[in-house]
Amino acid sequence: MFSSEFLLTAIVFLPAVWSLGLLAFDSQNKESMRYWTVLGTALTFVLTLQLWGSFDPAQAGMQHKFSVPWIPTWNVNFTLGVDGISLPLVVLTGLVSLLAAIASWSIDKHVKGYLILFLILETGMMGVFLSLDFFLFYVFWEVMLLPMYFLIGVWGGPRREYAAIKFFLYTLAGGVLMLIAMLMFYFNSGMSFDLLELADIAAGNIPAGKDKVVPFSEALQLAAFIMLFIGFAIKLPSFPFHTWLPDAHVEAPTPISMILAGVLLKMGGYGIIRIAMPLCPYGAQYCAYFLVALGVFSIIYGAFAAMAQTDFKRLVAYSSVSHMGYVLLGLAVWKITDGKTSGADYWAMGINAAMFQMIAHGISSTGMFFMVGVLYDRVHHRDLNKFGGIAQLMPEYSGLAAVIFFAGLGLPGLCGFVGEIFSVLSCWNFSPLLAIIAASGVILTAGYILWTMQRVYLGPEYKGPHPEGIIPFLPRERLVAYTLVIFAIVFGVFPNILFKPMNKSISHLVQSMSHTYDTHHGAAATVQTTQVTQ
Amino acid sequence: MDHQATGEVLKNLLTVAWLLPLAGFVAEIYWLRWSNRLSKSSALCAVACIGIGFLCSASALVYWGCHTDWAVLKAEEHAEHHDAEAHDHHGEAAPAQAADATAAVDAAHEPGDAAGHPKQDEHKESHADARKAYSGTFYKLAQFGKLSLSLDWYIDSLTLMMFTMVTFIATCIHLFAIGYMKEELTEEYEDHQVHTSHGHFSRPGRFHRFFSYLSLFCFSMLGLVLAGNIFQVFIFWELVGISSYLLIGFYIERKSASNAANKAFIMNRVGDFGFLIGLMILWTWCGTFQFDNTEAGPGLFTMIRGTDGVMDVSEDGKQVFLQDAHGHRLENDGKPSTIGYLLLVAAGLGVFAGCIGKSAQFPLQTWLPDAMEGPTPVSALVHSATMVAAGVYLAARFYPVFVPEVLLVIAYIGCITLFVAATIALVATDIKRVLAYSTISQLGYMMLAIGVGGWGAGLFHLVTHAFFKSLMFLCSGSVIAGCHHVQEMPRMGGLRRKMPITAYTMLIGVIAISGLAIPVLNIGFSGFYSKDAIVASALAYSELNPVHILLFITPLVTAGITAFYMFRLWFLTFYGEPRDQHVYDHCDESPRVMTTPLIALSILAATCAWGWFLTSGAGEEGPLYRMIAFSETVPATEQVKSVGPAKIILPSHQGHHSDVHKVHGQAGLLALLAAFAGSTFAYVIYGARVINPNDIRRQFPQAYDFLVDKWRFDVLYDAMFVQPVHIVSAWCAGFDKKVLDVILHASASITLVVSKWDRLFDENMVDGLVNMVGSTTRSVGYSLKVVQTGRLRQYVMWIAVGVVVLFGLLFTSLPK
Repeated sequence: MFSSEFLLTAIVFLPAVWSLGLLAFDSQNKESMRYWTVLGTALTFVLTLQLWGSFDPAQAGMQHKFSVPWIPTWNVNFTLGVDGISLPLVVLTGLVSLLAAIASWSIDKHVKGYLILFLILETGMMGVFLSLDFFLFYVFWEVMLLPMYFLIGVWGGPRREYAAIKFFLYTLAGGVLMLIAMLMFYFNSGMSFDLLELADIAAGNIPAGKDKVVPFSEALQLAAFIMLFIGFAIKLPSFPFHTWLPDAHVEAPTPISMILAGVLLKMGGYGIIRIAMPLCPYGAQYCAYFLVALGVFSIIYGAFAAMAQTDFKRLVAYSSVSHMGYVLLGLAVWKITDGKTSGADYWAMGINAAMFQMIAHGISSTGMFFMVGVLYDRVHHRDLNKFGGIAQLMPEYSGLAAVIFFAGLGLPGLCGFVGEIFSVLSCWNFSPLLAIIAASGVILTAGYILWTMQRVYLGPEYKGPHPEGIIPFLPRERLVAYTLVIFAIVFGVFPNILFKPMNKSISHLVQSMSHTYDTHHGAAATVQTTQVTQ
Repeated sequence: MDHQATGEVLKNLLTVAWLLPLAGFVAEIYWLRWSNRLSKSSALCAVACIGIGFLCSASALVYWGCHTDWAVLKAEEHAEHHDAEAHDHHGEAAPAQAADATAAVDAAHEPGDAAGHPKQDEHKESHADARKAYSGTFYKLAQFGKLSLSLDWYIDSLTLMMFTMVTFIATCIHLFAIGYMKEELTEEYEDHQVHTSHGHFSRPGRFHRFFSYLSLFCFSMLGLVLAGNIFQVFIFWELVGISSYLLIGFYIERKSASNAANKAFIMNRVGDFGFLIGLMILWTWCGTFQFDNTEAGPGLFTMIRGTDGVMDVSEDGKQVFLQDAHGHRLENDGKPSTIGYLLLVAAGLGVFAGCIGKSAQFPLQTWLPDAMEGPTPVSALVHSATMVAAGVYLAARFYPVFVPEVLLVIAYIGCITLFVAATIALVATDIKRVLAYSTISQLGYMMLAIGVGGWGAGLFHLVTHAFFKSLMFLCSGSVIAGCHHVQEMPRMGGLRRKMPITAYTMLIGVIAISGLAIPVLNIGFSGFYSKDAIVASALAYSELNPVHILLFITPLVTAGITAFYMFRLWFLTFYGEPRDQHVYDHCDESPRVMTTPLIALSILAATCAWGWFLTSGAGEEGPLYRMIAFSETVPATEQVKSVGPAKIILPSHQGHHSDVHKVHGQAGLLALLAAFAGSTFAYVIYGARVINPNDIRRQFPQAYDFLVDKWRFDVLYDAMFVQPVHIVSAWCAGFDKKVLDVILHASASITLVVSKWDRLFDENMVDGLVNMVGSTTRSVGYSLKVVQTGRLRQYVMWIAVGVVVLFGLLFTSLPK
């Protein structure tokens, strides 16, 4: 229907252009501005669906790819494209932004400024997932940071400034590491920011006309991987870089928490798959055990920490730490036996599971924050020990919240189950010990989620403050809740809807990385060198 | 009709039975949208869904019977007609079938009685040739390279039997629940067990929600049984868990109910953790979860057991070779695919850990008694007849993957459980709790049976137990409803005069579970035959493996204990004089919607193990057992010697020369003796009241307290697991606050301090230096100002002096 250039550019820039429209509104006319924003995000979501519709799952490579020179002096191009790895995340971003826009009715302060920043944020997120140029990626990464800073810092809770600065500094630190790594690749690749070209060089396929370039050395790969990984692990977030997350979530307004959990955390995982791993296969393999161990540790640690929280939102934030641990676990289960990749199917399963877990977490965690927000809007507190009996007062809301929390708990038939179980299943091939520890997370997760539900929803009566504020579900809230519940069920029952578009791209990634490692760094490479010396 | 087409028909029938309750669930959860709170219509919807499900399952069973190879096992027809009999209770069967049944039965018994050997041979053939299971795929969940996950179906006689049993019992219980839950049909339900700050608690009734949860449970349970791969079993395993959670916690306002629901789910998750480990091992080493062979490759059963049921173990006993659909070794890159023997043990134990959780076996048994917080129909359906039996079902289904060492563990777990639970039941006074402990104990029997190689015996007991235990739970529900929610047996007594139907149907159940029979004729109710079969298997096992003699003695002794506590329950509740006149006076027999299911279930509880004629072909000759045995896997029927470290010999029990058959009479006699001893003792104490039970209690106060405290498992687990988890979680949260954030804040404040210093340095040093330069220049300028006098003579003099000095310097410093 649309040309590739138009479709991708529109997905990225429509929200930002749409935000200009807000300038025409009278600041007092909050209602119309909100509708305008919802319309903009809805259009963007429709465009992402259009992208999904025109996507060919049988192809492994980039689709709709196009490139326009941007800063020719530095060989920076405006390159966009989509493959099976970015597609689900783009659609998820469209969905979560739309739902967050619908949930933004609770914002009543400086509405115009809020909505403008909100739309710019969406542009930043889309840009990150669609750009294929490292420089462009970096720019979008930073573009996203600023609106987020203000959204937390201006519209947040009582400690908003602290939380916003913490968030900003953490992400910035990650960004700086990424910048260094980017420049390392730039100067070692004959001045290229093209992610696909860089991946080719890393794989040993030197593009024509770059005779002087050699494949990235092992030391370079390792150093770059560590820097990139720290940058992305902050975003993921993984232990020990996670402490910004609970603060940011607790202070952020509900819709921003939804975006933060639903989309922003995914950039960490996406960055690892899209940049860190293909550009540094050797580094990724070198660090694999550490990555898996860190993922497993985050799962357990996050679950334990969640259990001790008394603030509802903080609890959900720690559950994110725990759930994103499965992503790290799944990504890195790259097993080498005798210097050769073994059980590549299990690794492919792991990456698929990690991707699925990102989408599933995008649904369930967004939902959980939304459900907390619905309660907070009514009673203006989040103290878990002062709830109870909500199910008596708001049965429909509580039922839907239960479904969302069960999705987080990993109940089969809901989206959370597939990501968690598949990543754990893929792990035994890599390391039985880590697999067992990761599997024990199912007990802890059940523990803290059921205990939370008991404290909030069950019981005879609500004893906390503002009982008069508890009003039934509003139609707007119902719309958001049902949408999330339906997605949670559909992805849980028919996971192949997501696996199908992802599968080819991920197998391609796995094949090329293991091929690269086996021929250049593994046992085969060692044999070659010995032959040469002889 | 060919194999595949038959399978399709069976699949379609069972799929309808499986999915209808799901549709019912969705409809019932939103029932208030199109009906009011006072309407019973939601229950009718649920009953219709499960009732139609029963019809579908029963017709599938009949259909299966018609398309099964008669030459292989003639007794099948028998079973089919027996089920037609079950139909009759509902008046839905086709009576025409009854006519030819007699003829078929006569034919059926001849070969079995004539000679064991030829029949055995036939069996072998059937194992080799006729594929007994139908299987296929619903749809794919995911595909990664060669690894594939899907939702499948697997239908054999066990599946069909479970479907029919579950749907039948569920239908009865749904009907019963219409009567039992009618208090919920109100706008103002007052819950006397809950207190709020305003006094009594009241809420709108939740009749429709109860039935929606029941429907969800039925869907999950049937899905579990229909599952064609172990992963799918796990999926529905969790779903029955969540249904059970919802049903236990049905009274969400009661703290005890929500605690019990949490406990049940979390303890099940502990078992599932083991299950998951089992899954991981199989997934990694076998690369498939399928039970049956598919076009893509062999299923798990064939991989481990080959086509002839024999494991292909390497000579050192450390590796098991995986086999393909033709019994050849599977190869991968030219090397044979193997799985370590110990890994196979670990996988088996892992999967069994899941069964331990679900079937409330030792050491995860403590959730089941607490689960009695749910309404009584739930206890009858979920926590006695079906869901908790799923653990036994899975252990049986997964039998081919279990090596003898795993079976030994299963046997001992079952053995410990059956004894521990029975002893607690001796002192429990809450009528539902006694039944709960008896459920645990009976599940222990089933596990024991499977562990000692009595595959058929265990499943036989599963079915008979489902009937008599759901019957007894419903009876207790009828008592509780009649007595207005009194559950303590010491406050009852003499109720048989007030509620005769409940009392005598209950008596049937009690006799069945105790295993009483008419001695010489060996005619008893269903439980007699199934327990007999279990004890016989245990005896044969302990004769072959004398070290494990406890596996025979414990169930035998416990058979006596069982009879004792079950009769104690009956005598305390229904016999003697009323002990609480108030309760007695307000007690009434339940309405017909509740008693009809009792009668239906009691008929089956009494007769389901019988043959067509009372005198011949009951028990293990009977149709029910035969039909179960039709699905038996090879290693369960023949003598198997373990190759592993435990050196176990599993008894054979096919035909008249088998190990089990030889000891059958002896075992049956001993079990019967134990049952009589137990029931007589109960009569002496609680019926005739010759001995005062309080005297016995006073004799052994410590033992009594120990049993009343349920062997103190709850205290132990609280100290061992619950408290440490809370401590660790406090540590983790504290680590974030006290360590990570402190480091972060410290680095932030260091930055601040550094920048402060920087400012000081800037202001004092750098600025000072610059200022100094400035001020020096300035002061030099000022001081030089003095020289600028404007007097010409002075300037000339300075020039002259300067020239002289320059010259002086020139001459002194120039080289000579």
